Amino acid sequence: MKKRRMRAAALLLALSAAGCAGERTETVSEDGEVSIPITLIVDSSTGIRNEENVIRAFNQMYDGKWQADVDWIMETEEEYRQNLKRQNVTDTLPAVITDLRMLPSFYYMMIQDGRIEELSEYIYGDEEWMEMIEPSVLDSCREEDGSIYLSPISTAAFSCSGMYWNEELFAQAGIERFPETWEEFWDCCEQLKNCGITPLALHTEGTGWAPMLIATAETASTEEGAAFMQEFYPETYQNESGIHIAQTLQRLFSYTTENALYSDFDVSYENFFAGETAMIPNGYWMMDQIPEEWQDKVRFSAFPENKMISSPETFGWAIVSGYSEEVKEGAAALLKLRTQMNMEQRQELFSKDSSEMIPAERDYIEAYKKNPQLVPNYQVKWNSILQEETLGEILPALAQGKMTPEEFAAKEDESIRMFEDEQ
Amino acid sequence: MVRRDQKRSGIQRRYLKYTAALLGLALLLSSLGVGFSVRERLTRSIIDKYEFMTERMGLALENMFRKTDETTAECILYDDVQQSLRTQGLEKVRHIALSKYFAYIDLDYVADYCYVDNKGNVYSRSYSDVSYEDVEDSGFERYLGEEYSRTKWFWARDTLFGTGDDALFIGRYVRSLEYAHEPGMLFFKMEDGFLREIAGISPELEDEAAVGIIDGEGQICLSSAPETFRAGDRVPEDIVKMVGADVRTGYGGGTSGMILAGERVKDGVLSAYRDASSGMTVFSFVPDRVLNQGIIPVFLVLAGIYLLVTAAAFVISIYFSKRFTKPIRTIQEAMTGFDGTNFERTIELHTNTELDEIGNSYNEMLQNIRRLLDEIKAQEKELRTTELNMLISQINPHFLYNTLDTIYMLARINKEETTMRMIQALSKYLRLSLSKGSEIVTVEDELENVRSYMDIQQIRNQDLFTYEIDCRVDAAGTYVLKLILQPLVENAVKYGFQNIFEGGKIGIKVEEKEGDLYLSVSNNGSPMKPEMAEKINSMNSLPVAELKDCFPDKRHGYGVMNILMRLRLKYGDRAAFYCEAEEEGTVCTVRIPSRKVQEKGEE
Repeated sequence: MKKRRMRAAALLLALSAAGCAGERTETVSEDGEVSIPITLIVDSSTGIRNEENVIRAFNQMYDGKWQADVDWIMETEEEYRQNLKRQNVTDTLPAVITDLRMLPSFYYMMIQDGRIEELSEYIYGDEEWMEMIEPSVLDSCREEDGSIYLSPISTAAFSCSGMYWNEELFAQAGIERFPETWEEFWDCCEQLKNCGITPLALHTEGTGWAPMLIATAETASTEEGAAFMQEFYPETYQNESGIHIAQTLQRLFSYTTENALYSDFDVSYENFFAGETAMIPNGYWMMDQIPEEWQDKVRFSAFPENKMISSPETFGWAIVSGYSEEVKEGAAALLKLRTQMNMEQRQELFSKDSSEMIPAERDYIEAYKKNPQLVPNYQVKWNSILQEETLGEILPALAQGKMTPEEFAAKEDESIRMFEDEQ
Repeated sequence: MVRRDQKRSGIQRRYLKYTAALLGLALLLSSLGVGFSVRERLTRSIIDKYEFMTERMGLALENMFRKTDETTAECILYDDVQQSLRTQGLEKVRHIALSKYFAYIDLDYVADYCYVDNKGNVYSRSYSDVSYEDVEDSGFERYLGEEYSRTKWFWARDTLFGTGDDALFIGRYVRSLEYAHEPGMLFFKMEDGFLREIAGISPELEDEAAVGIIDGEGQICLSSAPETFRAGDRVPEDIVKMVGADVRTGYGGGTSGMILAGERVKDGVLSAYRDASSGMTVFSFVPDRVLNQGIIPVFLVLAGIYLLVTAAAFVISIYFSKRFTKPIRTIQEAMTGFDGTNFERTIELHTNTELDEIGNSYNEMLQNIRRLLDEIKAQEKELRTTELNMLISQINPHFLYNTLDTIYMLARINKEETTMRMIQALSKYLRLSLSKGSEIVTVEDELENVRSYMDIQQIRNQDLFTYEIDCRVDAAGTYVLKLILQPLVENAVKYGFQNIFEGGKIGIKVEEKEGDLYLSVSNNGSPMKPEMAEKINSMNSLPVAELKDCFPDKRHGYGVMNILMRLRLKYGDRAAFYCEAEEEGTVCTVRIPSRKVQEKGEE
């Protein structure tokens, strides 16, 4: 089953890679069922189709009226995001798009060009929908002028990132619990390393997600750092916090695998679930992707000093303008259903007997209930040139010591100037 | 020739006439039926063929559009194009390289191209002097529509590259992948060959039908008619109207598909396929002449088949009619050629049909006629002999009477009374027997005659019998065939009394019952043998011709046969003669229709 899915997804990937993403078309079947085009990712490691349960429920619920016509593609999230841009310029975007908030400048460009629908009418006009959403989540999705372009999920509970760690490897190094302070964290890394265990699964491509999660969480442990992480489009990285982040990054790369350079998150994931590294940072959503045989060994913890990275708006989905009202209405129904299922999932999770959960899930709930300090996701705050071009270029140099943290920060500032030019 | 044939065989002529009429009717009806249905189906299938080819052309159009869409998408995503949209723009070297890039894209029939970035820089062929103002002045931007970045095909006067001719242009907005900049614009001017390639996707269609392409604004972008088109085959001038208002839904609206599927229009058939994405409509116009070209060979074949069938039917009809009328003609010739003498000319037929029986019957009839003729001849001969004898015997009566008178005188002189009585009786008997004239006599005469005969017989056979006559009719007024009773009395004496010598009695009775006259002679002698009586009685039901054969031996029964034959010849079937053997004696009765005096006179 898994293999077949992989093959189908590979075919889709090949098709899209060949450049024949095809003309965006609106189809209405003979029985009047309106098709809602959407592209979703098939996880290349597990073969799991993201959000498949939502899609299935939607197609069942609105059978004969709307049909979510999903193009399942096997590509990384980064590839998916780059494809969004390509689909946008060629005017072939599906009706519903995800991950948009991960590309801040692209997101704002889409708003500016009128490419995505303003959703407040749908959301505010639907009490039922409103009731499903936590106010903080709705706030995070709301723009300064009050408009909403991203359909919120119900809760911030599922948007937090922390550290997944391998209990077995920790035990081998004689470590019984996850470090509670950053000092302990570094000691822990050292201890693991001394026992011949690579402590961290990291990578340099994409937006440098894994190392950046740890570095930004660590920076937020000071008041100044925490404030820096709240800044939208920071004016400079050549300050204490910026340089501190660079230093931390450099230090982190001394505890990772050799293949971390020039690779993306999928390599880090493989490293961790091959038992080659003891830790990998990621969000709650990775629970589904823990292979069955690993479910008993993998634990989860907030970052040291009770920190978690969270920006619920990154999970917002958007509706592409230019589709007919029928399609947009169906797309909104799909977003609402997602919110609803997310709410049900939260209720189920929090009321579930902890003995039925896998250890990591249990850990996650426990960590979330401890009211961790939520540090905003750098992806929603920093400029896209830095994220998509600069970080990928300078991280390997920093990691290899070919670049000092100061130089690193200077390069980051260059990206700010370039970005401002384009604005 | 015809006349002779008509004479020779009217049946064959009629047979041929009716067969020809029937065949003609069958051929007419079948040709009408087949003609209509074949014409209908053939025309439909030919139209379907052109419709299919038009659809193929439409699909080719869709493919071409998709191809241009992909190619322009590639251009948009091209690094330098994206770079050109950024604030910094391109350095001069890359500017020149990008200008050349568009010449090498994967698209045939590009006549000219022009890309304008969002800073007013124009990228075109090196020898081209298109400026940003030219692009603005051309007004081409309006064709790009309100959509974000859709490939647009439009048919327009070339106000961009300055040639002024009408051409197909492909245009698209070029947007930045990352930033909200003003879009650039990309235009390709296509050569005529580009659209012609679509029209040429079905060479057969292009050879036989007029094909063309109409854009979303109802302009004819391409229209070609094969050289074989004649003056009457012109593509209708109001083709746009015919293709329909649907065409003018503009670019990118509506749905793709056949909008005219082999529609009948004046002088031909029109098919059209509309591609929604390009807004273009391809059409084909097939003139009636071409449609008929496909049908004519089929009708020629049909006509050929009908001719063959007619010829075969003609030959077969003649053959069979000859075969059937030949024996009839043989019969006819035999019958008409019969001269009444040649009985050897019989008919020999072996057709295994009823005609054989007719032939055989004719042959039998011929033999019957022959036999009857022979009989008639024999009877005539007999009649002539009898008449001769009659003449001979008629010569003598006077002499015979004179002689008998003399003998009577002599007997009287000699007082020979018996002789006198006998002579008197004989004389009376002979008077009736030899008398000339009619065969019919009064009952009185007939009784007189038989009385004389019996008197003679009594004299000859002393005491043998006595007789009694009982006449209950008007003897003088009732007529009867003469010499009927005498042979019966003769038989009674001869056979009835052959074994007695005295005491015989003969009774003669004449009576009328129900319009018939019954004359009976009874005797009390030896009864007639039953088989003889039966044989005699059965003769009443035999035809006259066969009566003769009943008693071939003239010594016995000849008298009876003679009586019956004469009765039947005279009275037909109403006459009868029958004998009844009784315990003592025999009664023989003659029945004839009763005729009175006046009736006799009428005969």
